[in-house]
Amino acid sequence: MSAITTPLLELKGISKSYGHVEALRDAHFEIRRNEVVGLLGDNGAGKSTLVKIMSGVEFPTSGHILRDGRPATIRSRKDSELLGIETIYQDSALVGSASIMRNFFAGRELTRGPGLLDMHAMNAIVMDQLVNTVRIAGIDSPDILVETLSGGQRQAVAIARAVYFKTAMLLLDEPTSALSVRETDKLLAHLGELKADGVSAVFITHNLYHAYESCDRFVVLSRGRVIRSLSREETSVRELNDIIVKH
Amino acid sequence: MANYASDVDASALKPRGRRWRDLLREPVASICLLFLLFQLLCVGGALLFPDSFRYLTPSNVALLQRAIPVIGIVALGVGLLMITGEYDLSVGSVYTLAGYSMALLYAAGVSPVAALLLTLSIGIVIGIVNGLVTVKTGIPSFIATMGSMLLVRGLVRWLSEAGAVSFRPGGAFASIFTGSIFGVEAAFIWFVLLAGVAALLLHRSRLGNHMFLVGGSERTARAVGIHTHRVKVVAFALSGLAAAMAGILSITRVGTATPAQGIGMELRAIAVCVIGGLFLSGGRGTVLGIVIGACILYMVEDVLLLLRAPGFYLDVFVGAILVVAVIANTALARRSAR
Repeated sequence: MSAITTPLLELKGISKSYGHVEALRDAHFEIRRNEVVGLLGDNGAGKSTLVKIMSGVEFPTSGHILRDGRPATIRSRKDSELLGIETIYQDSALVGSASIMRNFFAGRELTRGPGLLDMHAMNAIVMDQLVNTVRIAGIDSPDILVETLSGGQRQAVAIARAVYFKTAMLLLDEPTSALSVRETDKLLAHLGELKADGVSAVFITHNLYHAYESCDRFVVLSRGRVIRSLSREETSVRELNDIIVKH
Repeated sequence: MANYASDVDASALKPRGRRWRDLLREPVASICLLFLLFQLLCVGGALLFPDSFRYLTPSNVALLQRAIPVIGIVALGVGLLMITGEYDLSVGSVYTLAGYSMALLYAAGVSPVAALLLTLSIGIVIGIVNGLVTVKTGIPSFIATMGSMLLVRGLVRWLSEAGAVSFRPGGAFASIFTGSIFGVEAAFIWFVLLAGVAALLLHRSRLGNHMFLVGGSERTARAVGIHTHRVKVVAFALSGLAAAMAGILSITRVGTATPAQGIGMELRAIAVCVIGGLFLSGGRGTVLGIVIGACILYMVEDVLLLLRAPGFYLDVFVGAILVVAVIANTALARRSAR
């Protein structure tokens, strides 16, 4: 990692309060290009709040955000989308009762003529992405309802969507919690491939082994503060565990 | 359990066309089959016993064609809203109000076309108010629209105290809604046209895609950047618009507005949607299902009347069909989810 490059996304002095509860206090967070950062910490440390601020679901009480060194404002999902930030939640990334295609293009539908959906083009793109980007089998039609897919297949659809829409940075909030061991392996492999393609990722997890396997750097939060930032070379799973437990 | 590309052959990755088996798994397929079966039985019975079962007489066919569109158009609006995940109980009241609005405006000297546009606007405005109250306050639409149902019903009562109102425009305006071409009633043509528009809107437009997603999971829809509140308010407006359209269609045929007309219509419209394969939980359904649902509901009533069954059988049969349809749809959804 070269330290002189400007970060892809930088959050400075971020605080967020919900009434009297201070979820984040003066938090600093940055992520560079081609970097996978593990966001660690116990329950209630403020990891999800930080992700929500980056994805535009929540707006910070104070602090500012820089994208490639330029000030940016993220007030909505649309804002974060324009900055190339895509969030993959553990359960809420896709609508179960809708088809893969309708989910893939949710909010970004392709139309032709008088505003009608271009079903043919969208179906072709979905199948192409599923087959060539995430290389997932067992899905033979874009009309399949998402609720019939396994957890791993759903993650794959969400990742294929992120890749197709030229995401610069993925936010993965507990992505492995609902996956089988084999599906988790596949997901971690995808993260590696995405990094090779120039996509950065923030990976939130409770599983330090998953984090250690796939992340370049670790940021540890405790009670709304960023307490440590360590690169993979200078730490170990045991040390990370000790830091989280002791604070 | 997922298989991955490394251990499957390439042919399994190719997209396939939709097969018949997949079509039959759609909830709407079972209701279409039921409808066809029922239709065959009725036509067969009418051919075998033309004197005792007058299903195919011109007057009965015309009656069906005039009766189905009224509830059918209301159900189109209610159904789109149901797919978006909300209910509208005020449609019956709006339907009745539309009749009064047409009659009173016409009596006041407003031209029928202007009265029509004003009446449709009233329906849209009531729908928008229903929508805004629901999304801004976060109360269930069941309650919000129950309030507006009673409120509008009260307004209709007040209007009706001034005396009976009639709406009998002559010439072109009346024939557009009450005429017939080659034995097909104008009302039925309107229904088919509106169903076509609704199908394009729901299945082939961006708004329709958002309706499905908002109805399926509002939280996820918001997370992917869809303006869920706007989608819902538009769906409410369409529901109000459809109810007003049905009211106009009805008053042009009947000619006189009475305050009790639309009572119970909201639940019948929901019943039509449920028979047609829509889910009360939202996020699923087809316009074809709504159309078939409306046809089945009226055919059952019509057949019972033709068989001279006592009146209470109507409710019993409609109730039974409703419950059987929901059980069948839920079972189908569970099977296809496997």
